[in-house]
Amino acid sequence: MIPGFSTPRLRALGSWIVGSLVAVICAALLFAWSGLYNIAASSGHLAMTRAFLEFGMRNSVRTQSAMIEAPALDDDVDRVRLGAGHYQGGCAPCHGAPGEPVNPIAEHMLPPPPTLAPHVKSWQDKHLFWIVKHGMKYTGMPAWASQNRDDEVWAVVAFLRRLPDLTPEEYRDLAYGNASAQRRPVTALLSSGSDTPDIAACAKCHGTKSAGPTSNLVPRLAGQSEPYLAQALRDYADNSRQSGIMEPIAAELDEQTVKAVAAYYAGLRRNQDPRPEPSLTGEHDAGEKIARDGVADEAIPSCLSCHGENAAERYPRLAGQPQRYLALQLRLFRSGVRANTEQARTMAAIAKRMSDRQIEQVSAYFGSLRSFSLQPDERDAALTAPEKQGANQ
Amino acid sequence: MRFLRTCPALIATAVILSGCGGDQSVLSPFSDNARTVNVLSNVLFIGGFLILAVVIVLAGLAAFGGAHLRRRLAGENAVVIGGLVFPLVTLTPLLLYGYALLGAGPNPLDGQRPLKVTVIGEQWWWRVIYTDSKGDSFESANELRIPVGRPVKLSLTTADVIHSFWVPNLAGKVDMIPGRTNTLTLSADTPGVFRGQCAEYCGGAHALMAFKVVALPAKEFATWLDVEQSQAREPRSQVEREGLELFLANGCGGCHSIRGTAARGTAGPDLTHVGGRKSLAAGVLPNTAESIARWIRDNQEIKPENRMLPYRSLEPGELSAISSYLSSLR
Repeated sequence: MIPGFSTPRLRALGSWIVGSLVAVICAALLFAWSGLYNIAASSGHLAMTRAFLEFGMRNSVRTQSAMIEAPALDDDVDRVRLGAGHYQGGCAPCHGAPGEPVNPIAEHMLPPPPTLAPHVKSWQDKHLFWIVKHGMKYTGMPAWASQNRDDEVWAVVAFLRRLPDLTPEEYRDLAYGNASAQRRPVTALLSSGSDTPDIAACAKCHGTKSAGPTSNLVPRLAGQSEPYLAQALRDYADNSRQSGIMEPIAAELDEQTVKAVAAYYAGLRRNQDPRPEPSLTGEHDAGEKIARDGVADEAIPSCLSCHGENAAERYPRLAGQPQRYLALQLRLFRSGVRANTEQARTMAAIAKRMSDRQIEQVSAYFGSLRSFSLQPDERDAALTAPEKQGANQ
Repeated sequence: MRFLRTCPALIATAVILSGCGGDQSVLSPFSDNARTVNVLSNVLFIGGFLILAVVIVLAGLAAFGGAHLRRRLAGENAVVIGGLVFPLVTLTPLLLYGYALLGAGPNPLDGQRPLKVTVIGEQWWWRVIYTDSKGDSFESANELRIPVGRPVKLSLTTADVIHSFWVPNLAGKVDMIPGRTNTLTLSADTPGVFRGQCAEYCGGAHALMAFKVVALPAKEFATWLDVEQSQAREPRSQVEREGLELFLANGCGGCHSIRGTAARGTAGPDLTHVGGRKSLAAGVLPNTAESIARWIRDNQEIKPENRMLPYRSLEPGELSAISSYLSSLR
């Protein structure tokens, strides 16, 4: 028994507390039922409300992201370029970009999406990562379309770090990549007809007739087989191949456009881009051995048995793909992120047998094929000579 | 009346014993090697039974016999005879007999020129390598063919964990141990097909790691060896040609060899003459075109965690072309 409180007084206090709670709940329900609260975005928030919400939001982001470990982004050009390509299509409509105003419709959301440049500096990398990956309740900021692709989210973070210093010209160069040269007024796009697909959305990051991909995290599509490219777009669209960058783009394409885009890239000749791979590890000799012979003791088949020039069209050709892209994809196969189609499961089973070292080696080998001075046709012949000999025996 | 009462017991015993025969049984030996094991087992069983009977009688006498008898059983002489002399005179000859029977010492088969075969246990199949007198060798898998009457010298080893090579009708178990090669020499008396089984737990699909031993008359064996040694036969029909093309285009050659084609992988079984084997997937499936297709598609369901890749992305038409081609490779 607490001194100074008799049982009747305690009982009275208890009743008073319960009664007050019930009254508050009833009042709240009555208020919500009445419709007197104005939920209009046009009416804005009171300054006090805004300050309170901001306070809660900042603390939530800090606490929720406490356990995240950020990779070193130090101006990683590949990430910045990939992040920029996505920012242009996925973020800029609401948040604006250097030289590009916020879409007036987005401007009238509540809260209005902030222009990011002034805010980026007040967050650490892991905070930005958390916001981009998870989005924010009650704000209209969506979560990343594929929750398993942290690598893509970090690319956006790398770009956001660069954002405050970019001039409109620099931004255009980064974000529109190979498409910047082909930008045409809307009227021209409308009147151009549909005999050649408008590949601006692809060319932001991937190659065109005259250029390679803008980032080593992006595959080169030129000369890849048509069935493979079309299937990749379908897999992205139904999320069986996960990517928060490709899914929104692929999901918008109808079957006819999918086929047209696939045919366009399948029709390009490979290896027109002389830009050297900056991160080759010099281990491509060991990689070549794995690519040609596999590692029998570890039941790793030769890569070229499915990815050589004579293989079925359902498998991609890997010669000249960026080393970084290949290593990333092998890790996605290995971790089971890219194992949701029957074909991906075959590759995932192989990737699970590969060590980090082997992944780097084969990626370096296929990446190094880009700097061959051979014409594409000669190079293809050199690459597949042993298979052809074998088949003729 | 008494016969009628024991009759069901006799029938039951006969039924149970009949399960002991067949193509994977130590009780039906088809080689000298297995016969000696069988004789030794019988000596042990019968001897053990007789000794047990004597012990039961003595125990009965000790409990219910007359005072004189009981005194003698408790005496020092009984302990010396029953506890020392008897084990000495039974176990010593048994040991010597066992040595003699199992051929410890010089092998009686060493006089003839043996066929040399290496068998390597792998999770969960058998790599079989035949070597001729010139030292040339070629590979097969999951089946061992041997000539009747000629000794076969098996070099047994493993590519991964411990396995054990056991063909009960022909010989006792011999373990396959990492970093070591064990030798087993055997010789079949009569033609026949015998079943072998891995006899040392080697991981999840251990029970599905079997093989066949086919003993052929010398002439038939020579013919078979000629065919087996040669390159794969050319595809003869449109479907078979498609099958070969699809086999290569889908990367099967990354793990499997078909001698005479571009398929030169060594991680998995050699398929040069896969259609001629008695079983598929190390004794798991009957060897038909249908089960080849089933294996390519559903191998992870049939034999979980085996190292063959799942190939469920192939179309039914592609599967049937590949399996018709493989099935034609005799």
